[in-house]
Amino acid sequence: MSVVIPVGMGELKVARSPETLAVYGIGSCVIVSLYDTKSKVGGIAHVMLPDSSGIDKERINPNKFADTAIPALYDAIKNEDGVFKANLHAKIVGGSEMFPPTEDYENNIGRDNAIAVKKALKKMGFPLVAEDVGGKRGRSIEFDLDSGLIRLSILGEEPRDL
Amino acid sequence: MDDITSLTKIQLDALREVGNIGSGNAASALAQFLNRKIDMAVPSAAILEFKDIPDILGGPGTRVMGIFLKVLGEISGRFLLLIPEDTSIKLLKTLIPGCEIEDPLKMSELESSCMREVGNILAGAFLNALSALAQTPMLNSLPSMTFDMAGAMIDSVVADMTAVSDKVLMIETSFIESEEDLRIHIFLLPEPKSLSILLQKIGVV
Repeated sequence: MSVVIPVGMGELKVARSPETLAVYGIGSCVIVSLYDTKSKVGGIAHVMLPDSSGIDKERINPNKFADTAIPALYDAIKNEDGVFKANLHAKIVGGSEMFPPTEDYENNIGRDNAIAVKKALKKMGFPLVAEDVGGKRGRSIEFDLDSGLIRLSILGEEPRDL
Repeated sequence: MDDITSLTKIQLDALREVGNIGSGNAASALAQFLNRKIDMAVPSAAILEFKDIPDILGGPGTRVMGIFLKVLGEISGRFLLLIPEDTSIKLLKTLIPGCEIEDPLKMSELESSCMREVGNILAGAFLNALSALAQTPMLNSLPSMTFDMAGAMIDSVVADMTAVSDKVLMIETSFIESEEDLRIHIFLLPEPKSLSILLQKIGVV
């Protein structure tokens, strides 16, 4: 079993094969992964919110917001040995709406996160090769940096690879 | 009060007392509903890093029942009940005669509606006590319920409160019904903009 490195809310981590990056209990957050298929280096940003605009730049944690976390993830991964921008691809997981809306409460942070993350990836030019977003269920993932596959678990369902 | 980390010890003690009064009332409502004696753990009011919250329940991947309500009124906030899997099964079996549920993922409509009602009763009782204390009406929204991973629920509830700070103020308490070991965790998260109003109402500005 390789080393498993957990990535918490608002955190960003980069690792390489044979390590595994893991995130447990993903709700409205969106997990963005970048993976270099040649050097087998990968990174994860655990995005909580869609947009950092209007928030004091001195006080924010850039890893929390879709618009700032993806550039930060690229900055963290680009200096690793053997990483080239042209080899990087992205996968995204999460963005669910855990609590079904009631007549006086609606929460769409999950959906907004997924939209914002896709926009930020497009802006940076990273191809999005797999996604599992939306719905009402929590998710956990283990990102195996040897195979580049993301093992997705949802309660009551068979795990599957992205 | 934009910065919750500047709360004084006296203010935190007062917020803990808010939790005490609210959950005391909620515990008696639950005791009446179940026709049992319910003990209450000492409440805590704490400023926590959001990423540490799921550990209270046994880690972000822990299976748990979550009932979520918005607190509406001059003092607004969020009210989250997290009920461990074994307690949710015991509650359903106590409340619904003949209920044989084994996996809360497969709850029937009757069972879901029963758990939402538990949420409604607990939140209503908690907020009633708080309204009386703060002399301002506080109502709860309709409950929304799910059974899933603890971390997934918590990130969905706290996400937009954490734009600036990595910390949230949480008043937490749990009930224990000693014979059956029923545990219910109640979390009250005042909206940051409501916190100064709440502190003013309870006289600890």
